[in-house]
Amino acid sequence: MTSDTLTSTPVSRRRLTPWQETYRQLLRSAGPRARELRVALLGLIAAAALQGLALACLLPLFSALLPVPDWPAVLAWLAVMTALMGLATLARWRAQGFDFDGHMAVATHALRTRLGEQLRRMPLERLQDRRTGEVNATLLGNVDENLNYAMTVLNLILTAVVTPFVAALATLAVDWRMGLILLLIFPAIIPLYRWRRPVFAGTMRGLAVAHQRTSGDILEYTQGLPVLRAARCAGERAERLQASFAHLREVQTRAQRTGSRPKVIIASVVELGLLLIVAVGVTWVIAGTLDVAVLAALLVMIVRFAEPLANFVNYTAILELIETALERIEALLAIEPLPQQTPPAVPARFDIRFAGVTFQYAGTERPVLRELDAELPARRMTALVGPSGSGKTTLTRLLMRHADPQRGAVTIGGIDVRAIPPETLNGLISVVFQDVYLFDDTVLANIRMARPEASDAEVEAAAHAAQCLEFIERLPRRWQTRLGDIGGRLSGGERQRISIARALLKDAPIVVLDEPTAALDTESERAVQRAIDALVRDKTVIVIAHRLSTIAGADRILVIEDGRLVEQGHHGELLVVGGRYRAMWDAQQRAKDWYLGLAGEPGNGKQSARSFSAT
Amino acid sequence: MSVDTSTGDTSGSSPWAVMRPVQGQIRFAMGLAGLGTILGLAALGCLAWVIERLIAAPGEWPWLAMAGVLVGTVGAYLLRIHAFDQSHYAAFRLEQVLRGRLADHLARLSLGEVQRLGAGSLAKVIQDDVKELHVFVADSTPLYARTYVGPAVTLVALLWLDWRLALAAVAVLLLGFAAMTLAMRDRAELTRRYHAARERVSSAVVEFVQAMPVVRTFDSGTTTFGRFQQALADYLGFLTRWYREASLSGRLGMALLNPMPTLAVLLWLGVWLTWHDALTFSTWLAVLLIGTGMAEAMMPLMSLYHLVDKAKLSIARIDEVLGLPVLPQVAPERARRPADASVVFEGVSFRYGSDRDGGGEGGEAITDLSFTAAPGSVMALVGSSGAGKTTVARLIPRFWDVTAGRVLIGGVDVREMRAEDLMGQVSFVFQDTFLFADSIAENIRLGVPEAGREAVEAAARAAQAHDFITALPQGYDTRAGERGIFLSGGQRQRITIARAILQDRPILVLDEATAFADPENELALVTALSRLMRGRTVILVAHRLATIRDADQILVLERGRLVEQGHHDALLARDGRYAALWRSYEGAQHWALQRDATPTRVTADVPPRCEEATP
Repeated sequence: MTSDTLTSTPVSRRRLTPWQETYRQLLRSAGPRARELRVALLGLIAAAALQGLALACLLPLFSALLPVPDWPAVLAWLAVMTALMGLATLARWRAQGFDFDGHMAVATHALRTRLGEQLRRMPLERLQDRRTGEVNATLLGNVDENLNYAMTVLNLILTAVVTPFVAALATLAVDWRMGLILLLIFPAIIPLYRWRRPVFAGTMRGLAVAHQRTSGDILEYTQGLPVLRAARCAGERAERLQASFAHLREVQTRAQRTGSRPKVIIASVVELGLLLIVAVGVTWVIAGTLDVAVLAALLVMIVRFAEPLANFVNYTAILELIETALERIEALLAIEPLPQQTPPAVPARFDIRFAGVTFQYAGTERPVLRELDAELPARRMTALVGPSGSGKTTLTRLLMRHADPQRGAVTIGGIDVRAIPPETLNGLISVVFQDVYLFDDTVLANIRMARPEASDAEVEAAAHAAQCLEFIERLPRRWQTRLGDIGGRLSGGERQRISIARALLKDAPIVVLDEPTAALDTESERAVQRAIDALVRDKTVIVIAHRLSTIAGADRILVIEDGRLVEQGHHGELLVVGGRYRAMWDAQQRAKDWYLGLAGEPGNGKQSARSFSAT
Repeated sequence: MSVDTSTGDTSGSSPWAVMRPVQGQIRFAMGLAGLGTILGLAALGCLAWVIERLIAAPGEWPWLAMAGVLVGTVGAYLLRIHAFDQSHYAAFRLEQVLRGRLADHLARLSLGEVQRLGAGSLAKVIQDDVKELHVFVADSTPLYARTYVGPAVTLVALLWLDWRLALAAVAVLLLGFAAMTLAMRDRAELTRRYHAARERVSSAVVEFVQAMPVVRTFDSGTTTFGRFQQALADYLGFLTRWYREASLSGRLGMALLNPMPTLAVLLWLGVWLTWHDALTFSTWLAVLLIGTGMAEAMMPLMSLYHLVDKAKLSIARIDEVLGLPVLPQVAPERARRPADASVVFEGVSFRYGSDRDGGGEGGEAITDLSFTAAPGSVMALVGSSGAGKTTVARLIPRFWDVTAGRVLIGGVDVREMRAEDLMGQVSFVFQDTFLFADSIAENIRLGVPEAGREAVEAAARAAQAHDFITALPQGYDTRAGERGIFLSGGQRQRITIARAILQDRPILVLDEATAFADPENELALVTALSRLMRGRTVILVAHRLATIRDADQILVLERGRLVEQGHHDALLARDGRYAALWRSYEGAQHWALQRDATPTRVTADVPPRCEEATP
């Protein structure tokens, strides 16, 4: 509960959430335990109020003691005060049950489950956007980190605010002037704090920016260390890095100077209040308008308020973290799944059509696909070629409905993918990515997940066709080997073949191959290629491959550049046209013929004297 | 740098050791905080004195006592703020010192070690773990002073005022602490289990989020979501149990350590003593003012435990990095300079550190490897993945030190060269191109700060990068990594090649890319590489065998051993391992996807006539 929590306040806080809204969000986040949460909060407020009343009992108590003790009254007030304290303790005890009886744990558990389900429903493109992806992962992982503190912090804040307020109200009944002074000084901290908060947030933002800069520079340094070392610019000579450290310290120091001002102001309010009451109190006592007993009681009360109030800002900083967490949760839960068209329809054929498709990723300036029209015939192979960033992969993503195009439509068998129920659509398409994702589970489970009801024989057949049997036999526990246990022991090609076995088992009518062999070495590549040959048989195939010879046999080649379809046809036709495809093909052929002929350079047609003809 | 002194005493040592670089300032801050606490208590004493005077001499201004209140309050307030400022400035300075030290230490580790640890996690240590210290260093140190000085001075003052009341106050506190201790029993073990459960949740979350595209296409979601749910349920179970077990003692402790019970006990006992004429009102008042705060002053101790625990984890990680052995450097007077640009391996064996699965059967990545690369010659390393090609390449710039044998450059063991001289001999271009968030010109100029614009442009021209660089919005001054500036993998690689050309080192270690972004980039890239290689000793890790047909020497590696060596034609004629690799490479090159799955050869020179697709 210290000011460090301030420094980690995220940059994105620009506006103040009204406290009622935070309260509502908190209740919503508690889900099934919202009722218990509300009761617990009421308990905390009651406890704080009772504590204020208990403290106010000091006024009549001391009055009864001075100047001559009125013992029955003293004992009566003492008893009342003790009873109030007991009640306060009881109320707080019950309220803390929200934590201790496990309601908080259940609530955060339910919340996480809800968030997890939301991740399954939300558009994949939103999830895959790397930054949000990370945020969501953190959110899902740390949702309770912040929320778990809610009760503790609220208890502290309520004690700091409600207790003095109630005590001040009670004081009004004894001495209205003193009551008024108390009311003016102590609860005044809240508006004062609300007024100072934007300044406060500004400093925090500056700090966060500086931290971000340092963080980026550090990552750059550790990533670029081999290069820096080679250039002899590492360590103390990494000027940028050292400058960044110095800059951060400067910003931190400045933030400490200006940023801690609200805290200083609020702390001084407490001190000033104390001094003011002493001065005014003594004056009135000497003037004979105030009982010295009342002044004594007031002093004891105020000293009780001072400590919690001085820490008020720190507590609210934690509250702010909670607010931010709540806002992010709400924002994530608010993402709608992609809308489904009604009535739902299921395609009977598997030709694919992109009709006037325009698509732009969120947060980017220009569309990746522009008015793109293309037809991919059923049970044929269509290749997508073009420079990186031209929109090839985006096309396949739109087909799989990671996102919907802003204009135009994607259809399968004449049916808009937006009308196909998501499970059905997922069932129609198998994908083999360049990056393979295998789960920390057995080999068998990793393949079978594509079709849980598949028999062992079917799984084995798929593995066989995907060229997996041979290496699975070599694994320590064969089919039952957990992939997490053997870690890096599988080569890239072997992992890719498992993912192909998965796709084979799924037996979907449409197969998407996105550079499936790009990251493999030659030998693995051959085995994976054989596995792919088995996979694409009789399917509608979309393939993205850098090596043009791979896709030269495709039934149709779509050349995409800058989000537009610029050429299409089969290999022979496109070579004859002599356009973009021809240029790419020629460039690749020249690059291929290039080798370490120090006399020859690619492109000038000259071949090395030591050249060796491959064919 | 005093890295070595700070590494010796890490394990099990107190977390305070981390503050050593700013010890003086921290002690000063703690001294101020302690003094402030004493002044604060004195101010409270003076409050009681004010009342005492008012009762003893009604109508008289208690000037001296009021001045005491004023001085005490203001002094305590100023000292408190000053203490916090000092500790914060110290903490900021410590961050800078530690970050600098860490960055410097990384610069002197073996690059292999850096790579093993991963740039991301090292950056996390330098950024996040150092930041984690803030709470401990900046916020907790003054609090520590207060929590120790406060209760101690209070106790002395109470004993002096009235020993009976003092004992009563202490008794309440002891009860509270007993309950708290009970609540915190087995804390270490529970904390460990708590972190383990959290860890499982995090990895389930990461898997769940990262694998979402795969999950949606292949898994109805049940398997992965099931694992996610299971981890959550375990966590919930653990958390609930922990709360339940700590419920009674935890709540009891919190209830007792609240100032209210102490206040109640002091009131009852005070009234009873007053009844028996054994206590004056002003003494009692002083006890009430000072004594009730004792619990409050100690409350922060509870949260401090938690904070220090968190800091300990970070300190351990920082110490771990600082404790990594640096790559031994030769004494300057014994350093030797290479005679020429030859590279020789003499009976080199290499084994990765024990904590890493090195791949080879016996854990040895390289076994008894000897070869000689003459100055200006081109030597290629081939073999299937895991054969040790990359390891060989990285032993030359001393990413690691060999386990046995020697690596000689220009006749000098790399371990007998100054790091500077070694780096001055070798430049390396690896697959993972790394550009800094700086202008492209600066990126090329890296390590050769004196190079003028013409030299930079000449290097860029040779690397086939000039044209695309000048086409960028700000040409050479465009910042790499700027928003909206998209550089393809091939373009980035050409910039790093320009960098190597400018650095102009006699030996080039080149790890060839396995995949290229698109055909035209590929052509430019190979041209750039051939310029770079000209006139240098080249050690080339080859993935595309076509590029090495012309090498002066080809080493074929298998499981870290040299199995064949010679020129392309000779090796082919031998029909051994190389010939097999070559055939497999050729096959992969000419693989053409066809739906009928009969692999077709697409020859390079003759565009194949594509038959009309047959259904």
